Amino acid sequence: MNEGLSVLAIIVGIAHSGIRLATPYLYAAIGETFSQRSGVLNLGVEGIMLMGAYSGFFVVFKTGNLFLGVLAAALTGILMGLAMAFISVTLQAEQGISGIGLFMFGLGASSLLFKTTLGTVEGVKGFPELHLCLPSGYCLSDFPVLGEIFLGHSLMVYGAFALVPVSWWILNKTTWGLKIRAVGQNPQAADTLGVSVAAVRYITISIGGMLAGIAGASLSISLLNIFQENMTNGQGFIAVALVYFGSWTPFGVLAGAMLFSLINALQLWVQVLGLNIPSDVAVMLPYLLTIIVLAFPFRRALQPAALTKPFERGEN
Amino acid sequence: MKKITWLLLVLLALALVAAQCGGPAATEAPAQATEAPAQPQEAPTEAAPAPAPAEESGPFRVAIVMPSPTTDMAWGESIYDSLLRLQEETGGEANFEIAYSEGMFNVTDAAAAIRDYADSGYDLVIAHGTQYGTSLFEIAPDYPDTSFAWGTATDTGADQGLNNVFAYEARAEQGGFVNGVLAAHLTQSGVLGVVGPVEAGDAKLYIDGFVAGAKYANADITVNVSYTGSFGDTALAAEAANTHIQAGADILTGSAQQVVGAIGVAKEKGVLWMGTQADQSPLAPDIVAATQFYDWVPALRDMMEKHQSGTMGGVVYSLTLDNGGLQMLYSDNLDQNAVAAAKDTEAAIAAGSIDPFTAEAGAGAAMADEAAATLNYDFDPVRVAIIMPSSITDMAWSQSLYDSLKQIQDVVGADKLEIAYSEGMFNVTDAAAAIRDYAENGYNLVIAHGAQYGTSLFEIAPDYPDTSFAWGTTTDTGAEQGVTNVFAYEPRAEQGGYVSGVLAANLTKSGIIGVVGPVNAGDAKLHIDGFLAGVKAANPEAQVNVSFTGSFGDTALAAEAANTHIQAGADVLTGSAQQVVGAIGVAKDKGIPWMGIQSDQSPLAPDIVVATVLYDWRATLINMIKMNQSGEKGGKVLQLTLANGGQTMIYADSLPAEAVAAAKAAEAGIISGDIMVEIQ
Repeated sequence: MNEGLSVLAIIVGIAHSGIRLATPYLYAAIGETFSQRSGVLNLGVEGIMLMGAYSGFFVVFKTGNLFLGVLAAALTGILMGLAMAFISVTLQAEQGISGIGLFMFGLGASSLLFKTTLGTVEGVKGFPELHLCLPSGYCLSDFPVLGEIFLGHSLMVYGAFALVPVSWWILNKTTWGLKIRAVGQNPQAADTLGVSVAAVRYITISIGGMLAGIAGASLSISLLNIFQENMTNGQGFIAVALVYFGSWTPFGVLAGAMLFSLINALQLWVQVLGLNIPSDVAVMLPYLLTIIVLAFPFRRALQPAALTKPFERGEN
Repeated sequence: MKKITWLLLVLLALALVAAQCGGPAATEAPAQATEAPAQPQEAPTEAAPAPAPAEESGPFRVAIVMPSPTTDMAWGESIYDSLLRLQEETGGEANFEIAYSEGMFNVTDAAAAIRDYADSGYDLVIAHGTQYGTSLFEIAPDYPDTSFAWGTATDTGADQGLNNVFAYEARAEQGGFVNGVLAAHLTQSGVLGVVGPVEAGDAKLYIDGFVAGAKYANADITVNVSYTGSFGDTALAAEAANTHIQAGADILTGSAQQVVGAIGVAKEKGVLWMGTQADQSPLAPDIVAATQFYDWVPALRDMMEKHQSGTMGGVVYSLTLDNGGLQMLYSDNLDQNAVAAAKDTEAAIAAGSIDPFTAEAGAGAAMADEAAATLNYDFDPVRVAIIMPSSITDMAWSQSLYDSLKQIQDVVGADKLEIAYSEGMFNVTDAAAAIRDYAENGYNLVIAHGAQYGTSLFEIAPDYPDTSFAWGTTTDTGAEQGVTNVFAYEPRAEQGGYVSGVLAANLTKSGIIGVVGPVNAGDAKLHIDGFLAGVKAANPEAQVNVSFTGSFGDTALAAEAANTHIQAGADVLTGSAQQVVGAIGVAKDKGIPWMGIQSDQSPLAPDIVVATVLYDWRATLINMIKMNQSGEKGGKVLQLTLANGGQTMIYADSLPAEAVAAAKAAEAGIISGDIMVEIQ
């Protein structure tokens, strides 16, 4: 079937789709990396994404200003991150449970707000795809292979990929990054050296929340340009899994997100091309792969030692 | 260390709350008619002048445990006053003895008091609060000769084998509705304020009724509702009243013992007050305009007589306007037209022609379109509940059913068709709980709108033989398992799919058509199979690429699937389930025509949604309602077809005439039976 399509065209198609699909995962999982590197597991990412998706969409729907939309999503994310930080750092609640609570709050609140303010699925004009067309009429996104794969995405897609080296640099090359890692690895030692464990965790969780909010907005005002109840459909939880998958490093997360998204794009093509594989198997592929990679035990050694453990000064 | 600090803070907060609630109970305690014990432990010794318990010639002995004081001007006082009146009626203390424990907001203490009263031989022990139910059901079996009663409740514990528990409830929404109508007629500012305690039980019923009544009388009225989060926070209730007045309210209402604070404010500001539970006019005779008064005497008298004749429990009492358990008291200085309107409403509720919960705001313009004219809406009042996997705004499966039900309601009115729904029930266990809940609450028709709910439904249905259940997509009514009250329904999606396929084959120029499927099962599978058959019939050369996202709700993946199809050359797309909004967005961006199914998706992208197979559930729903009312509770399979109007085709004006003609010919062929759509 589809003799008309060259293998190259299919590969380009998969790569182009993969990059786009990876965008929300990247924002959310990089944010979660910050939070987990400082020792806090935030399972509420899904809920924050939904709230971010809603608030970003709503602001754009009302004002038409895309950057205000991103700002609203980021602020919403920060607020929810602060709530998580208050519960898990100050109150020292069980992180898994409070994260689930945050998720359920986000799910319910975003649906409620949607119902009361919009009522029905609406569309907005989101971030445009950048085709970089020259005055001559030639668009760089039509440049064979490279242009076709890497151009023709929206600004939010590039933002997600730019985030990877930036966060790697912050985590590994700055004093502040060192503090984050110290707090996640050995909070007692960090504390004795005058690093405020609580302050660091508040900040990292807020960053995580902000990026999760933006992740939601990347769906609602860049990739899909609609808001629908529960539209993230579990992506926030996959983002948390990607952090484990990527061994708590931004480039690891990038690898995981790309692998997951490329396989997802591949399985779509497998179905479209009519290859004789049951759709259920195709749909299963990305998840199957994730489980296989996660099963390698050596990765656990890289886990921040203090992950999920509330810090209590003077306790060991 | 920190943990301990927090624990201490929490304890301190609890202690403060306890002290606040405990205050009035401690100070206002027993200067009342009988030697009532302030402490339950003292009950047997102090409050029992008649020595022999439960002797036939001795007095009837009643004990009551209540969360607030007997002088709360609300819930507690209403029943305590009724007990005193019954005592008077039966000839005084010698024949009717009353003991009470008030301020029992602590359930453990209340349980101890209940047991104590039962132990010391009281004939009837009343636990006057929903919160006491669990304890009561534990205690009651130990004292088979004692009658117990509790409320607000309708559960006598019969299914747990208890036979000595009465339950009672006040249908507070009825008087609330009347108060609402009255308030709507009296207000000058058009703003009403409600000072609620906690959004639950009796208070919620009352307030819901009040809001509905006000809106019923005047759809444009503003009713501001606030809850203090407590039954006893008088100061906060006062502040809430102040706030409402500042917000423009010129009539206030509210419930629970906290309202004395609000009534004080109302009096000071000269604002009218609508009371409920007990008569609050003594507090401020000039401003209490009307009161829904609870008269528990008939219910209590009946409990006493039942007990004496050997029936220990098992009866549920409802206080209603009809049976006189609820009485409306109106102040003398009100506008007589307003009172007349309130009294008319009272009569209508008592007669059953108005249901406070479903009365539509204003008149409710009944919009009858052409199709409605052919439907026969002649059925009795009915209550329908739907459980659905996605939301009522999903632009697909769930919305299609909900919209149809709503259209029926628009015609017959909310008092004839009551709708309840639970959406987003993707978790089957939650859905099962919801199904059972609706059945338990007396809904006549409970629809589980998804093939995944079948197993649960067949387990639940036999427990509620008077309720009709329905589910789909399926043809299984559970008859083989002996289930008799389940309807099955099935949109024959392959029919509409076939017509769409014919249309798509006529529209495509590239010869490639893309299908964004959710999961290869049920309704989606039927649609796609029909679509494939339709394309093949109209243009054997055309190629249809089918992909499944593996999920009904993965909007992002559906969008990507649409992108993929377009890259693979597709110039016409279709798909189903709520995920398609993502795909439609992509189609819109790329200017690719879309064929919708289930709900009308054209509002999302008017230019590119060129055809829709719209599911019209009205005939199916009315059918099920009528069968339920004629005693046929289930066992039928109902199909939505092109022939019976369950599916209708909508074509965009922009389509080429010959393509529409081909599609309409396919429609006619299916309706006449000339075309049989094959399913793989």
